[in-house]
Amino acid sequence: MNSFLTRYSSTTPEADIRKAKELYGEDEDFSEVMWGSTGGFGNLASGVPMFKLPSVQDPSSFLRMHTDDHADPSCRIKIKHGTTTLAFRFQGGVIVAVDSRATAGSYVASGTVKKVIEINPYLLGTMAGGAADCQYWETYLGIQCRLHELRNRERISVAAASKYLSNLVYSYKGMGLSMGTMICGWDKTGPAIFYVDSDGTRLKGDLFSVGSGSTFAYGVLDQGYRWDLTDEEAQELGRRSIYAAGHRDAFSGNTVNLYHVKQDGWKFIGNYDVSELHYNGPGDVPGATGGGYGYDIRVAGRTSTNAPEGEAGEGQA
Amino acid sequence: MPDGSFAHPQQRQFNPYSDNGGTILAIAGADFTVIAGDTRQSEGYSIQTRYAPKVFRLTDRAVLAVNGFAADGNMFVKKVKQRLEWYRHAHAKDMPLRAIARLIQTMLYAQRFFPYYVYNILGGIEEDGTGAVYSFDPVGSYEREACRAAGAAQSLVQPFLDNQIYFKNQKAAPGTTHPAHLPLSDVLSIVIDSFTSATERHIEVGDGLEIYVVVAQGRSPQGLDAFRGAQELSTQPNGDRMFIIRRELKKD
Amino acid sequence: MSIMEYNGGSVIAMVGKECVAIASDLRLGNQALGISSNFQKIFQMTDRIFLGLPGLATDVTTLKETFRFRVNMYTIKEERELEPETFAHMVSSALYERRFGPYFIEPVMCGLQKTHDGSYKPFIAATDLIGCLNFAKDFVVAGTASSKLFGVAEGLWEPDLEPEDLFETCAQTLLNAVDRDAYSGWGAEVYVLTKDKVIKRTLKGRMD
Repeated sequence: MNSFLTRYSSTTPEADIRKAKELYGEDEDFSEVMWGSTGGFGNLASGVPMFKLPSVQDPSSFLRMHTDDHADPSCRIKIKHGTTTLAFRFQGGVIVAVDSRATAGSYVASGTVKKVIEINPYLLGTMAGGAADCQYWETYLGIQCRLHELRNRERISVAAASKYLSNLVYSYKGMGLSMGTMICGWDKTGPAIFYVDSDGTRLKGDLFSVGSGSTFAYGVLDQGYRWDLTDEEAQELGRRSIYAAGHRDAFSGNTVNLYHVKQDGWKFIGNYDVSELHYNGPGDVPGATGGGYGYDIRVAGRTSTNAPEGEAGEGQA
Repeated sequence: MPDGSFAHPQQRQFNPYSDNGGTILAIAGADFTVIAGDTRQSEGYSIQTRYAPKVFRLTDRAVLAVNGFAADGNMFVKKVKQRLEWYRHAHAKDMPLRAIARLIQTMLYAQRFFPYYVYNILGGIEEDGTGAVYSFDPVGSYEREACRAAGAAQSLVQPFLDNQIYFKNQKAAPGTTHPAHLPLSDVLSIVIDSFTSATERHIEVGDGLEIYVVVAQGRSPQGLDAFRGAQELSTQPNGDRMFIIRRELKKD
Repeated sequence: MSIMEYNGGSVIAMVGKECVAIASDLRLGNQALGISSNFQKIFQMTDRIFLGLPGLATDVTTLKETFRFRVNMYTIKEERELEPETFAHMVSSALYERRFGPYFIEPVMCGLQKTHDGSYKPFIAATDLIGCLNFAKDFVVAGTASSKLFGVAEGLWEPDLEPEDLFETCAQTLLNAVDRDAYSGWGAEVYVLTKDKVIKRTLKGRMD
């Protein structure tokens, strides 16, 4: 009786999901003979995936109880947090730069996370918040963008793609999704960035930074930002901003991943070790001024607390 | 109260999760992958069993290690194996490793609002013959890596692996570089050392160790003969080869 | 959040052949925000004793002065040099005095203990924040990276290491452990104590 009731009720979380499914999924159920070929397609084979829910009164508080590590650090399922991501628009396109650290509590769970999700050759999404939420829904967005192309014989605009994602996560509002993402690309209108998060916020803008280290990144970014930046200057600014966040923020760091979106799609510029940037700089790359980014490296030998190179390295007490 | 009622409001919670300890580990080489896990299953300070496998053979070239809540882990492995069998019936071949990785992502994410409390590490041989390791969080975010430890002693083992596998914080001798991939015998020694160390310092790790080795087709499992008791699990004479090595760990 | 994670930081001490080593990171943070990369946590108490104080920074500063005072008073009153084992008990009782309102510090110490035949024996010890002593024979760790330090040290350490090898083992253990800890790092220093000298080295660590 209870399951029968929930099926037709319009206020339960199941109903929310069913609504989401009706909105975005093409078909309700699919025939039994399909089972063979779904092997490999996962639950993507039937439009919007169906989610299993715990049989409790309030599934979202159940989820929060077991996964939210801010409320209860001892909870079992640790969803990885901590990030710095940024994207900005300028004369030469869009620069997207992110760090690569994932932390679970104080433990650095990974230093090689890909926080830029390559949705398709013209669209990039960034990852902040729940890693799985971003990875899964942005991959899913990629599928929908391709279907849009096939149906309309035209690439999807950044505005439309980001709105698709925004509407999708909004339909799950309150269920515990956690994402703060920037959808970046180049369409008929030129370079574009949209900030989309799991609260349902969707903003168009020139410059965004998201994550625990975003304040540090904004500091450098705002200082150096101009519309008429050259490609090389812009790349250096992105790299330098993420370095600043990686240096100061305990939950950001390891490496910087840098992308540049131009008219003909995005291009991966490079992966830079934050510590290497601190001591030696990015090396011989366009836009770099040479030398390490680190404060103590730049002032070495010029202040009373910083002895010239070689004297501080080794000594005997 | 005497009449069976309560003086204060009582709260009940639905807690379907438990932590069964243990640690798993996988390392990818150039043309092989090693996937290992201890066999202790515990709850709190009690040992439930000294032999509960956490590492499972999926196909001739894929091995899945699961850690966290054992009931969820076993059910998840069962469902993955079922999906792989469906795929075999539909396509008359085994699912490639990268596809298994994506399958596991979608299967985990389908439980986004009622997660499997399981950390997965998938290891095996990619279609191009290279060794690969994929690691997952409980709700399906994943990444291909060269080495990964998960579970109770991940924070003990992973920094040791960073040092010994990736040569982190080590400088190569002048005029030389660190090898990108280690030979099988070195990897096996590091795996065994990692588990003996973890057993020494973590109460949830110990009893037994199961190490799966998958070697790409046509490559010789060099160095494996030095390890006593390696048992071959391969089903085809000249496909990828799979071995299992078992070792005892301290039981205290 | 644990109080140890408020400022972050980690220390390790190891025993070698007729030598001991102690190493720490140099970070001082305010939770996630890094404040200083030059915050010392290791202090020389006598010619043959070193003390590492990972934990709440305000207590690091207080306790290093407290112990300097107590060591000096001991030396003046007793007119002899303080032995490491005696110092360990001094640390233990100083912390237990504050049993119900403790200093948030987990001290790690090392030294060379004088034996009856006049030679020196390596000594290490650690306590919890209320002074429960742990005299280990191999290595002791404390701080936000303690579990990581345990793992690496258990894999790298071996008995009877010569001073240079002990330095390398200690440095590698610390560096690799703090790289997996969000609250430790930002540079490191290592002290190796032998019977006739103290070697101090500042390490170039990851700065993120």
